Amino acid sequence: MPIHEKSLIRPEDLVEGSGEAHIIDGVDVSGHWSTFIKSRVVKDYNEDMEAEIAALPGGEFIHRCWQCGSCTNACTVNAINPDFNPRYWIYLIRTGMEEELLRDKDIIWQCVSCHKCSYTCPRDVLPEGVMKATAHWLELKGHTPKSHSTVFDEVFAEQVIKTGKIEEGRVLRRFLTRTGQPLLQGWVLTMALRMIRHFPIKLMIHMGLANFIHPRTSGWGRARAAIEEYVEEQEAEHRKALKLDQPAE
Amino acid sequence: MSKPVLIVGGGPAGLSAAHALATVGQKSVLVDKQQTLGGHPIHSGYAKLVPSGEWARDVIGAMVDRVEQNALVEVHKGTTVKSFAGEPGNFTAELDDGKSVEAASTILATGFTHFDSINKPEWGFGTYPDVVTTTQVEQMFSSGAGVRCPSDGRKPKRVAILLCVGSRDRQIGREWCSKICCTVSSNIAMEIREELPDCHVYIYYMDIRTFGLYEDTYYWRSQEEFKVKYIKARIAEVTSDGEKLIVKGEDTLVKRPITIPFDMVVHAIGMDPNVDNMVIGSIFDVKLQKHGHIEKASTYSAMSGTSRPGVYVAGAATGPETIDDSIAQGQAAAMAAMTHTVPVKAAAE
Repeated sequence: MPIHEKSLIRPEDLVEGSGEAHIIDGVDVSGHWSTFIKSRVVKDYNEDMEAEIAALPGGEFIHRCWQCGSCTNACTVNAINPDFNPRYWIYLIRTGMEEELLRDKDIIWQCVSCHKCSYTCPRDVLPEGVMKATAHWLELKGHTPKSHSTVFDEVFAEQVIKTGKIEEGRVLRRFLTRTGQPLLQGWVLTMALRMIRHFPIKLMIHMGLANFIHPRTSGWGRARAAIEEYVEEQEAEHRKALKLDQPAE
Repeated sequence: MSKPVLIVGGGPAGLSAAHALATVGQKSVLVDKQQTLGGHPIHSGYAKLVPSGEWARDVIGAMVDRVEQNALVEVHKGTTVKSFAGEPGNFTAELDDGKSVEAASTILATGFTHFDSINKPEWGFGTYPDVVTTTQVEQMFSSGAGVRCPSDGRKPKRVAILLCVGSRDRQIGREWCSKICCTVSSNIAMEIREELPDCHVYIYYMDIRTFGLYEDTYYWRSQEEFKVKYIKARIAEVTSDGEKLIVKGEDTLVKRPITIPFDMVVHAIGMDPNVDNMVIGSIFDVKLQKHGHIEKASTYSAMSGTSRPGVYVAGAATGPETIDDSIAQGQAAAMAAMTHTVPVKAAAE
C-alpha cells in the first residue's frame, strides 16, 4: 500500500527501501513498496527545561500558560510564517519535549518583540519575554550561534559599561566586525554620503575624534563597578540554572 | 406532637438535614447502613476538603457529633429501611433491626458510590499496585503516611493523575461529568507537590472543569504556585516495563504519541449512583433517572422533591454533588420535609 499522506510525514522520519536488500530490525523488508515511518513516540520529558527557561530574563511566567493560543493568533511573525508558533514552543518547554523544540531553533529567534502577545495573553505569561529567554537559552546551550541582535546588545552594553557613553560610529563598526560583515556596505556608504552632503562639520569632527579619544562620563568608575558586579552576578546565576560549567563567553 | 422526619443516610446531606430540623425543634430519625455516621468523607478517609482546606475528620466529624448529641435526633446505625408505606404526614417504615418508625415525611440522603476502576482495565488498576485512586491518595494524606508507592513504599518522583476515570465515557455507560474530580485532582496535585517538592505531577485531561470559584484557587494556583503540569490527552493504556509504569497516549497539542514512565498513576475516579439505588428506589417507590440517580422533581416548583409526595432527596443521591452543596441541599430538604410535620390548620392560621 502506498502511503497517501507521505507529505504529512517529516522527510527525516521516512525510511524508504531502494528495491535491493533493505533490512529493518533484522527483518528483510526489501521491495518497491517498502516505505516505513520511523517511530515518532515521545519517550520521556526533560523536566529541567521549564525551570531553565524560567531562570532567564523574560521566562519567569511561562508556567502560567494554559495553551489558549492567543499569543500565536496575535503574533506578527506567525502571520508571515505559520511555523512561528509561540503557544506550541511554550508547551514543548513546559512538558520538556526538547528534541521537538530544537527542530525549530532556527526560527525561534525571529520574534520581533512587537508585544501584541503580551497585551492579549489572559494569564500574563508575557510570551514575548519567553521567546527572548528561549532564544537566549538556545545560544547559551550552544544550539544556535549568537544572533546578530545578541551581538549588537553586547557591543552596545560593553561600551556603555566601559565609558558611560555611546559612540554610534564605534558601535556600528564593532558590530559589523564582530558579525563578520564588511564595513563598507551599500547602506553605510549612502548614509556617509548624505552626511557629507549636509556637512554637519561639528558632528563629523566629533565622530572622527571619537575614533581616537574615548571620553567617559565623569565619576563613572563606581557606576561601572556596580554594573559589572551585577552583570557578573546575573550571568553566573544563569549559567548555574542551565548547569553550564564553563562561562558563557 | 407531630411525627418525626425519617432521614436515610448520615453523610453531609443527611447530617445537615437532621441538624436543620432539630434547630427548629423538629424531631427526626436518622438511619445509616454504616456503623458510624459521616458518609464518604469519614468512611472513605478524605483528607483536607475542597474548598475549606479543613480536615474531613474535623469538620464532618463535628457535624456528626452535633447530630449525635442532639436529643431531637434518634440515630440508628448499622441499619437499613426494609419497607416503607403510607401517605405524606403518615408514613410507616420498618427497619431491619425490627424497629418501626412512624414518620411525617422522609429525606433520602443516600449518596453515591465511588467508581470502581477495575472497570477500566486498560488503565492498570488492580494489575499494578502503584496504580491507585484519588480516594487512596486522600487516605495516604489523612492517615499521615504521606504519598508513597504501594509496591515498595518509595516516594514517587513522577505522578500522573488521569482525569475522567468513570466519567464522560459511553464505553462504560457513564455519560455524566462527576463534577468534583478536576478540582479534587488539582487539590491533590498541590498537596503532593507540597509534601514531595521533588516530585513532578502531571494531570492528563480532556477538559478542565474546575467550575466557578475553583478556577483561580485550584486550577490557576496549581499551575502558577505549584507548577503542576496539565497535558491534554486521554491515556490509551497503562502498562509496566517491570520498573516503572508506562503511560501511553497521544499528546493532542503536539499531535504526537507519548510513552512516558511514571512512578505512580492516580485515577481521578468519578461518582456512580449508589449501588443500592435500585433497592432504594423500589422500597421508597421513587423513580430513578436514566443513569440510576434518584430523580428530582422540578426545582422551580418542588425543590428537594422526588416522584413521590412526602419523600424528599438531598445531596449526591441525585447525581454528582459537592460536599458544600450537599449540605445546602440537606437544609433545603429539611425545609420541604417540614411541610408535612406542621399541622395544616395551624400553618394556615
